[in-house]
Amino acid sequence: MNIAEAITSGDASLLPGKRDEDWRWTDLRGLIRQIPAASPEGRAWAWESPLAGQPDIVVGVVNGRGSSDLEVAAGEEKFVAWRFLSTAEAGAHNAELWVTVGEGAKLTLVESYESAAGGYLANTAVNIRLAKGAKVERIVFAADHAEGVSVVDASVELAADAAYAQTVLTHGARRQRIETRVNHPGAHAQVRLDGAYLLEGQHNADLTTVVEHQGVDGTTTQLTKGVVRDQSRGVFQGRIVVAEGADRTDARMGHHALILSDKAEIDAKPELLIFADDVQCAHGNTVGALDEDALFYAEQRGMPEDLARALLTAAFVGEVIERIEHDAVREAAQAWAAQRLEV
Amino acid sequence: MAAVKQTVEHVESLEKYKHGFVTEIDQEFAPKGLSADIVRFISAKKDEPEWMLQWRLDAFERWLAMDEPTWAKVDFPPIDYQDAYYYAAPKGKDGPMSLDEVDPDILATYEKLGIPLREQEVLAGVQGAPRYAVDAVFDSVSVVTTFKKELAEAGVIFCSMSEAIREHPELVQKYLGSVVPVSDNYYACLNAAVFSDGSFVYVPPGVRCPMELSTYFRINAENSGQFERTLIIADAGAYVSYLEGCTAPMRDENQLHAAVVELVVLDDAEIKYSTVQNWYPGDPETGKGGIYNFVTKRADCRGDRSKVSWTQVETGSAITWKYPSCVLRGEASVGEFYSIAITNGRQQADTGTKMIHLGANSRSRIISKGISAGKSSNTYRGLVSAHPKAKGARNFTQCDSLLIGKTCAAHTVPYVEARNGSSVFEHEATTTKLSEDQLFYAMQRGLSQEEAVQLLVNGFVKDVLQELPMEFAVEAQKLVAISLEGSVG
Repeated sequence: MNIAEAITSGDASLLPGKRDEDWRWTDLRGLIRQIPAASPEGRAWAWESPLAGQPDIVVGVVNGRGSSDLEVAAGEEKFVAWRFLSTAEAGAHNAELWVTVGEGAKLTLVESYESAAGGYLANTAVNIRLAKGAKVERIVFAADHAEGVSVVDASVELAADAAYAQTVLTHGARRQRIETRVNHPGAHAQVRLDGAYLLEGQHNADLTTVVEHQGVDGTTTQLTKGVVRDQSRGVFQGRIVVAEGADRTDARMGHHALILSDKAEIDAKPELLIFADDVQCAHGNTVGALDEDALFYAEQRGMPEDLARALLTAAFVGEVIERIEHDAVREAAQAWAAQRLEV
Repeated sequence: MAAVKQTVEHVESLEKYKHGFVTEIDQEFAPKGLSADIVRFISAKKDEPEWMLQWRLDAFERWLAMDEPTWAKVDFPPIDYQDAYYYAAPKGKDGPMSLDEVDPDILATYEKLGIPLREQEVLAGVQGAPRYAVDAVFDSVSVVTTFKKELAEAGVIFCSMSEAIREHPELVQKYLGSVVPVSDNYYACLNAAVFSDGSFVYVPPGVRCPMELSTYFRINAENSGQFERTLIIADAGAYVSYLEGCTAPMRDENQLHAAVVELVVLDDAEIKYSTVQNWYPGDPETGKGGIYNFVTKRADCRGDRSKVSWTQVETGSAITWKYPSCVLRGEASVGEFYSIAITNGRQQADTGTKMIHLGANSRSRIISKGISAGKSSNTYRGLVSAHPKAKGARNFTQCDSLLIGKTCAAHTVPYVEARNGSSVFEHEATTTKLSEDQLFYAMQRGLSQEEAVQLLVNGFVKDVLQELPMEFAVEAQKLVAISLEGSVG
């Protein structure tokens, strides 16, 4: 069940499938009978930032090739855009990114997954290490091709007093999984894991998170929102583990989704696995249509129904986007949502 | 410190499991082990018709081809299916008999458990006290069923499964295995092959069953498994409330209890199914012994506006692994699940429900309260799903877990699958420890720590307790207290 290995070896049976509990709703083995050929080296690419606020560094990785290390020295502050591009029609590639953030350093990392071709199978491993008191905000724009298959698996290690915040924004793909695993030391470290998926057509998106609280005094907050239309399918799996002795953990998880079509689907599994007693853990999960009362109120004020629906949907998703701390990125995220929701 | 010592001594002296005695009676066993011959033996013992034997043998064939599931959050050594008796019966005539023929030791057992088997005793009780009919299952056979005459007058059939196979084959053939198919899962399939007895209830159209029905299961024989099978059918517009209770002696070996319960609910009918499960939980210190309670319970709400309400108080068993489920097929059908699961010592529980919405405007409600203490582990696992046709389906789920002590674990694993645009599913879950402030407040008012914990726990589970039939609510409340004895301090 190793995607990187499946791609290098060309052995499709190594892909995870619905018989693997953590992949029950994102079946890659059933979808991909044969691993595509390795993607060729990509053409040079004009690296421009997708963002208004100019990042300090813009790095491009084409078909898995390119720089893969990022280091922010102790006390430094950096704003970095990392763009992963898939250009090979029906090609498969692995990419990797190693990020180390020194003591007291601060990093805003914008990762974007873009494409100039469909039918690819892309697998990206992201490793992020935060030293004591480091602060990272990671924003993922997953703009995969409708025919692409993409897996992004991030593993995050925090030291004491570190703060890690993340927002994943996606419109899905043929199959797409964005997984984040956080090793939480407790010790006044803070984790925020947010996400928004806005899906149409036959797109799929799977947002999976695992947070393991290993020590005392850790905080985790999570808010994921989704909107699915047409025949699209959104998956949310969130697991919070509180190890024995990880007392005074405060963990809260929310997942809320709107289904705007009878052919769309939402699958959710918010899990709490608790082995310590002095904890505050909660999760909430709601799935449903737009609130009829709110719609009625808006229409009664003279708003056309379409606009009322669009505004209510935008407000629903807006809650996630507003939590992005970096101003320029938040504005880009707002523009992304507005475009998708046609407000 | 004297007070602390006193508390410790007091707690140690408490009778932890009061149903742990063994009844010495002559019993008849099938040879140890499991084979097609044993299946034939059981079927022959019960004087079953050929179709029933064939059904069992088919199930056994399929079971041989199946793998034991491993996905639950429970941990136990592999079960040797050949090292158990699949049939144990008190010697004498098979099947329910008149009370005079029942071995007095068995009667004494039920008396000791507080289960009234003599109708006149029930009737002689406090005037106006609720009456309920009992089917008493002792190891593999039903020993007696009370109030049959009165129930028959109302048209209600309440008898043991073996009797139903003989007396009402058309009903059994029509409904048996229609809710839980033979090869549904490993344990259900095993049950289909070797099930011994259980209750059968049929409530005819428009009849409100005149009294509570109850089955009391008792495992007595050593090294035996209990595989009961219960089938309840509520025909159009009927209503029945059914309660099951269970106990077993204290033993060092683990015993397997793999039951199947099927409920069929037709138009406008309602079944209320309550369980007070108090199998022997094993030794709290060493974890030795105790029952493996691997049970498949499912209700099929076939009719429009049909309703099923599962209420369970799970305090016993070394391992509880069960998910009473509702298939909400009928339009505007309703499924409810109220559960209290308490684990202490080294118990493990992985329990919850499935609400499968197939019919338009079907509704479901899940209230689950898990309490873990000692070194135990308690998991809520549940599924709520809505089919594209289940327009307007509605679910509300609340799962709360309470942790008492540093070494226990509480898990919540809900699955939600929504496949249409008009369903509304809400789920909330919390996990916390007993509030220090509330404990302090209660103790400051003069309650002992044990009493204070009991008070808070009873408040925590109140939402579920009030769904139990009245006469059992009291018993359940006591059970909650007993299960948690010794868990604080």
